[in-house]
Amino acid sequence: MPTHDHYVIIGNGPAGNAAAFTLREADPDAAITILSHENICFYSKPKLVKYLAGKVDEDALAVRTMDAYRKKHIRLRLGQTVVHIDTDSRSLHLDHMEKVHYTYLIIASGARARLLPSMKPYADCLTFVTEFNDTRGLRQKIANGSRFFIFGGDLVAFKFVKILTDMGKQVTLLLYPRAFWPHRLTPEMEDTIVKNLAPTGADILADDDLADIVPEGDGYGVTTKQGVRTQADLVFSFNGLIPEVDFARGSGLDIDHGILVDETMRTGLDHVFACGACAQIYNPDINTYTTSIGWPNARVQGEVAAQNLLGEHRKVRPAGRKYFDLQGVKIKTAWWEDVESD
Amino acid sequence: MKKNGLYAKEEKIFQDKNKLYQAHSVKQIAYSTDPRDFGQVARSIPCQEACPAKTNIPGYIRCINEKRYGRAYELNRGANIMPGVLGRICSRPCETACRHGAPDNGVSVGICHLKRACADLKSPMHRIIEGLYTPSGKGVAVVGSGPAGLAAAHDLAILGHRAVIFESLEKPGGMLMYGIPEFRLPRDLLMTEINNILRLGVELKTAQAVGTHITLETLSQEFDAVVVAAGCTKPRVLGVDGENLENVYNGLAFMKAVNAGKTPHVGNTVAVIGAGFTAVDCARSAIRLGAQQVAMHIRKTMDDMRIDETEKHEARFEGIGVESLVQPAEILGKNGRVTGIRFVRTRIEKTGAPPYKKSVPIAGSEFVVPCDSVIAALGQSPDVPDVSDALTGIEKDRHTTAMKGVFAAGDFVTGSTDVISAIAGGRRTALAVDLYLTDIKRKKTVVRLESHTTTDRPRSYDFIDRVPMNTIAMEQRLADHTNEVETGFEPDQALAESQRCYLCNLKYEIDPLRCIYCSACIDVAPKDCIKMVETIPVTADGTYGRYVETGQWDRVVSITIDNDVCIRCGQCYDVCPMDCISVTKTELIQMDMDE
Repeated sequence: MPTHDHYVIIGNGPAGNAAAFTLREADPDAAITILSHENICFYSKPKLVKYLAGKVDEDALAVRTMDAYRKKHIRLRLGQTVVHIDTDSRSLHLDHMEKVHYTYLIIASGARARLLPSMKPYADCLTFVTEFNDTRGLRQKIANGSRFFIFGGDLVAFKFVKILTDMGKQVTLLLYPRAFWPHRLTPEMEDTIVKNLAPTGADILADDDLADIVPEGDGYGVTTKQGVRTQADLVFSFNGLIPEVDFARGSGLDIDHGILVDETMRTGLDHVFACGACAQIYNPDINTYTTSIGWPNARVQGEVAAQNLLGEHRKVRPAGRKYFDLQGVKIKTAWWEDVESD
Repeated sequence: MKKNGLYAKEEKIFQDKNKLYQAHSVKQIAYSTDPRDFGQVARSIPCQEACPAKTNIPGYIRCINEKRYGRAYELNRGANIMPGVLGRICSRPCETACRHGAPDNGVSVGICHLKRACADLKSPMHRIIEGLYTPSGKGVAVVGSGPAGLAAAHDLAILGHRAVIFESLEKPGGMLMYGIPEFRLPRDLLMTEINNILRLGVELKTAQAVGTHITLETLSQEFDAVVVAAGCTKPRVLGVDGENLENVYNGLAFMKAVNAGKTPHVGNTVAVIGAGFTAVDCARSAIRLGAQQVAMHIRKTMDDMRIDETEKHEARFEGIGVESLVQPAEILGKNGRVTGIRFVRTRIEKTGAPPYKKSVPIAGSEFVVPCDSVIAALGQSPDVPDVSDALTGIEKDRHTTAMKGVFAAGDFVTGSTDVISAIAGGRRTALAVDLYLTDIKRKKTVVRLESHTTTDRPRSYDFIDRVPMNTIAMEQRLADHTNEVETGFEPDQALAESQRCYLCNLKYEIDPLRCIYCSACIDVAPKDCIKMVETIPVTADGTYGRYVETGQWDRVVSITIDNDVCIRCGQCYDVCPMDCISVTKTELIQMDMDE
């Protein structure tokens, strides 16, 4: 591989970091750049809810410091948002009008919070917790607030309910049966979840839906379709994640939910790879396509993408089906590795 | 405001074009047939170029901005005949091309919603404008009253010919009436715009199927010319076992039944096969028929779906799922009724010809989806023998056939496309018929150039968010399947959305003889739109090619504004100390040949 190659990686999560450091191991001379729209070094997303609750500080989130990148001569550019990929000229357009040229590209842009279509009119009233950028200013609001409304029902939602109630906050949880998508909770599953969350002291609403959210004073008034009306300092939405791929649309890459890749993490373009939560890959063990595959798998995918970029032909191996514990409900899923947050 | 040098500067522009007209004391208007001007319009106004009917989009959006809704409506009618209809159901190729949706520029302008706004907000006193030619004494039969047939009949009537439409069904409108659900296109609105065509003297004969009740040969003898615009009526089939089971519908037949007020049995779980507008219409109609779970199944990816983002959002909002990268292998049944579909997963493979990719089944990936009904909305193709076995030799570009005096238009010629393409095809065919009947070429396309003394928009407009369309709640949607989902813009919403348009029809130019190369314009430009060039090549078709830029001062022959990149913010115009930047309004217009 020529030494003047410029490997650019979009995303500074587990997949992007694994890719960058794998590339450096094999190619000591190449220019390697990581572009991240966030303003923080590689950090642990699973710990964000604890950070919000004031249980850990910002330093405790760090997985890798700036020094580690310097030592490996990996250029880490934080706060740089890619808005478009021009695959013909092999350049990335950043939102401040800069163009960054690459010879090979690894997309590891991760996922963002899913906004339900029915919630689009209320988007300005909702608070999402997907990344560190989302949490700026939130920590103080949570510390000062007393009442919170949580809409959804994914893993983070339940974790957050427990943390907030432990802090003595009043919490209302409206269960959305499709939050842990693509699985749909049955009424029996919802009953189990309600029962298991009861000890937290949170008000749990099931078999209901949001009807309206309006700003009221410093907070919000929330009304459900069953007529429940409550006030909250913040309304959180936890309805799963979707791949962060909008910037790649129109670039010639095949995009479904995520960027389509084969088991070698190659996209339809020979100089572009994708890995981690932004990639969509067929899993023959369970005969379906998957995205949002969890931290350990993202790391493996990042390594495989980097190795194949350098000329190898490694394949990621499906982990097969696993059973996932969602507040007492066993959900059969695939390629999911739970990451303990402490 | 610009001053002093303006007159001399624009004098030069228009003298160069050798066609100078004095409109009034300030404005000057020129009409150009220079290929360079056509090339400039095509590249600089991408929305209009993308529109098959070449609608003057920046022109009508500017009228909405000035609250001249009636004028905006007429600018639309002049190109696309039915603005109220298209403002609801157009496939919006213009929005895909809109420069506001380009990388770094945000989201495209809601052009279609604005089209609807001018139809909704125009005064009840509004009068339609038609420039009628004297009667020719010729008669033309038009087969089919879909968009292409209506457009052809409209233009033939304008051109002075007696147009008689033969429609096989009971109501006019073709796919507009029978294929599109009422919750997307209210029938009173459709009939109003159809009647605007019929009132020109167009005669409509319904329940007259050519090929059944009357032959094409008879029409050919009784009329001076015939336009066949029979659309696409032959449904594509899945070609899998089980397709003849009960509760397996083809998309068009299903929509026809729903639009006729019938309630086809769909059961609780519905599998729709297809990725286009008809497939979405079927899925949304199934929800209104009481289905609890409806999913669309598509062979390629979500991005490959042939529908716009608004439709995708509305489908998701109504709870319709999309299963991508699958294709049906067999429809399963019991006692003659559908019980499920066996699918196979697919992957995408590159090909050497358009559309450059295909879906390929993955071996061993079969799975079964239980369902109560299947709607196969795979599109339709023209049924030529149904009209006449003698109808051969259809020339797509010239709209002619091997039968003398018989022309063909719209989807019947091109295969299944969209409404705006069908209308454009119908209009082109009318001109071809007119030339055949009169041997007179009536129209010419020219570029109208008008000096403009303002930029019409401040930079702050670039940061206005796209205005979402107002819609009714889910409960209202389910209460009555005819309730229109989208309710249109209020005037203030239309104003805000109109302000987002860059007005790409305004062409910015630097007079290199007056420019002092101070770089002030470059300093304020938000885009890389002001360029030092050493060559502006002229291509084989006579239009300008891409600028050849240079960074070496000794090679610079001109400083120029790249109107392909320019977002018409006007900052260069405001800052220039030499007033050497001019603004010219450019429009593609149709003129009579003798003007």
